[in-house]
Amino acid sequence: MSSIERPDDFAERREHLQSLSDSELHNYFWELVDQIVAPLIEEARTHTSPSIERSVLLRMGFSSIEAKAIVKQMGERQLLAHGAGHLILELAKANDLSIREAGLGLLDGQYWEQLPS
Amino acid sequence: MKLSPNKKLDVREVLKNLDQYRPKRKGWTWRKKIANQNIGPFIYKETSENLSNSIPLPAAEYFGNIDPQCDYVITTEIASGRFEDDLRRMRMAAWHGADHIMVIRTTGQSHIDGLIEGTPEGIGGIPVTRKQIRATRKALDAIEEEVGRPINFHSYVSGVAGPEIAVLFAEEGVNGAHQDPQYNVLYRDINMHRSFVDAAESKKIMSDAGILQLDGAHNANATAKEAWKVTPELFVQHAINTAYSRAVGMPAEQIALSTVPPTAPPAPKLRLDLPYAIALRELFTDYKMRAQQNTRYMEADTMETTISHVLDTLISRLTSADIQSTITPDEGRNIPWHYNNVAGVNTARQTLMGLDGLTELVEVKQDEAMRSQVRELKERAVLFLEEIIAQGGYYPAVASGQFVDQGYYPERKGDGIKRDPQSGDGAHTIIVRADDYGAPVCSHFGHNIYHKEEGKSCAAYGGCTLCNPEKIQYIDELDTSDNVHARLQQPLAEREQGLLRPEVEKHGDGVVCVTLFVPESPAVAELAALEMARHMGLKNPEVITRRIMHPAEGSLFEIKGVLDVSVRIKDLPLTAREQPMAEADIEAWVRPRNIHIVAATVGEDEHSVGLHEILDIKHGGIEKYGFVCHNLGTSVPVQQVLQQAQQTGARAVLISTIVTHANVHQQHMRHLHELAKQLGIRQQLILVAGGTQVSDKLARKCGLDAGFGHGTTGQDVASFLVRKLQESETQ
Repeated sequence: MSSIERPDDFAERREHLQSLSDSELHNYFWELVDQIVAPLIEEARTHTSPSIERSVLLRMGFSSIEAKAIVKQMGERQLLAHGAGHLILELAKANDLSIREAGLGLLDGQYWEQLPS
Repeated sequence: MKLSPNKKLDVREVLKNLDQYRPKRKGWTWRKKIANQNIGPFIYKETSENLSNSIPLPAAEYFGNIDPQCDYVITTEIASGRFEDDLRRMRMAAWHGADHIMVIRTTGQSHIDGLIEGTPEGIGGIPVTRKQIRATRKALDAIEEEVGRPINFHSYVSGVAGPEIAVLFAEEGVNGAHQDPQYNVLYRDINMHRSFVDAAESKKIMSDAGILQLDGAHNANATAKEAWKVTPELFVQHAINTAYSRAVGMPAEQIALSTVPPTAPPAPKLRLDLPYAIALRELFTDYKMRAQQNTRYMEADTMETTISHVLDTLISRLTSADIQSTITPDEGRNIPWHYNNVAGVNTARQTLMGLDGLTELVEVKQDEAMRSQVRELKERAVLFLEEIIAQGGYYPAVASGQFVDQGYYPERKGDGIKRDPQSGDGAHTIIVRADDYGAPVCSHFGHNIYHKEEGKSCAAYGGCTLCNPEKIQYIDELDTSDNVHARLQQPLAEREQGLLRPEVEKHGDGVVCVTLFVPESPAVAELAALEMARHMGLKNPEVITRRIMHPAEGSLFEIKGVLDVSVRIKDLPLTAREQPMAEADIEAWVRPRNIHIVAATVGEDEHSVGLHEILDIKHGGIEKYGFVCHNLGTSVPVQQVLQQAQQTGARAVLISTIVTHANVHQQHMRHLHELAKQLGIRQQLILVAGGTQVSDKLARKCGLDAGFGHGTTGQDVASFLVRKLQESETQ
């Protein structure tokens, strides 16, 4: 572990790399990097965050203030796993509203009962 | 909005109808390279298209005022806290060749969970808001028209609101951005899960908007005490952000590595920095290089810094770069002053022009010594990666203090930055996406029920803001006192009254800098220097540079202070510069008359360039109008000049006097006048002097008919001579 002090043991540590050609070393470098990055990208693929959800609502035509309030209230109700934009779009479709009407309606306290529990 | 070179940028015009403004274009723009370009007297190997408006390097006046533009994009970083003042700075930098304007964010914005709106003032940078971004883009759109080259506008997609800022940048035409989740984790203590999850969304948005991404690895060598020892880790940090970006789908040509030569003299810089620069470029062949100048070892001496930056730029030319980032030479002592942005840009511009075609002349030796150093650096980086995996991956490795340890890996000093994966700003805020998770918008990353192989995810409701920008909700101001309109009241009132104050950063800040040498021991000299600054009327004087010339003989100081004085433009003794005659009119009058002129550089003075500029036909000098010029050369006694005038029947004598030691230039001018009088030829001769320290007023005071200083052209002199000769003919 690196939190301890350690002298420069490069000469011993590198022994298994010595026989690699330059291009083998290059490929090995990138293989290791991809191995490190794979679980990180998988976490991103399967998770969201309040900022991601706010960024979705910005793209759907809400202001930063509206997006922040909607995402906050959805977060408090544990709804963000479905996606804030998804919930608003489905609400708009079901009630024949525009996207903004649906989102601002939520901020007025309406339609919450129609969202998944 | 259209700018005129002789008019100040009007911030009111920038702010007008901002709610309706849309950027001219989106995405990054590289310079258009031109091989073997003919500019003035030279053929350049590594230049790009010329600008339509610019201020050339000072020495350009000897080469027909050419202003060749290098093939690299040149960056300048701007941060005053007030975007309205930054616009002026951006315009000045663009005129000096900057085409990548990087706007620093205010302290603490990384921790604000959401977007800021309006135009509040920042500290050490601006709060990035839609209004400020849009106003800046609008101004830059006008500035790029004025200089004739696209300007890349750049800021930061980091902190806990990364995806929202990425959307803002995509919507508002920001062209480049820093995005590197490792920066959040290591330097901002933002939770690592949150940072990486947000980063994927941000990167996807940036990719689709064509925004060039810069990473944050250079911060490791700005932090480490012995910056050259973190080089193996720098490869690792670059690689993690690069591979993560590629996994999100970012094209290689949008990924730029932010790399800094790690050392500065007196360290043996090239010997340490070159193998590192070569190894980096070999490992990252497919990616762009944003070469930044070193900040780690900057002290208060701007000359020392500039020389280090020249060497940094040499390394760029010896290896490769796509962007040459510049650092203001005063960054080591204060928040950068605007004219130092220009100084930094000019350091790169001057160096790159001087090094044009370098690699056709020299190449870096790829001998055993170099190859073994390059190989060792790569192997050390590979060992670093192996240890990350051995520890269970990136998160456990950060938790153990693997990163930013001062040891030369695999050496460990045990002082790395440790972060707990379960803590930091935004900890426990990521949420597992349910099976029905959806985001009906473009540029979204990851599991999404609206994702379609064909067609847009936003089609169900007529399109998102990235497709239909008219849907963007623009907020003007939220704070009635902390906004640009309130801040502009005083500057606009002062401009109305024609009042001027000196400035270095913000409008009318009154800050000036004076240089003093005091012949005493350092401590005494410093107190004396401050006292002298107070006598000059400077408020709050502060020493910003001190350099010991000798422990007993004296020290040099630069002192900044506030000169709380305003000057009224209408009280200034402005004299309108006389318009020279049209060239055709000059020639039509001169050519039939066979007018002889005698010229020389007088005294003990070997400067010849200035006089050639005025006389020679090939420099646009007065010969071309038909004057018969007798140039006697340099170091000519005044007496000889007048003898020659008598022999040739000259109508005018032009002397050049550059050396000014002990006011010798004034003596020469007086001597010319007096001697001409003694010889009885003063009346029939027009006597003219020229030189860098000569003014018309000074020359007339010395008895001559005219004096010409810096910036004079042959046309100016010819025009004067013709008018004077016409006068004498009519008398």
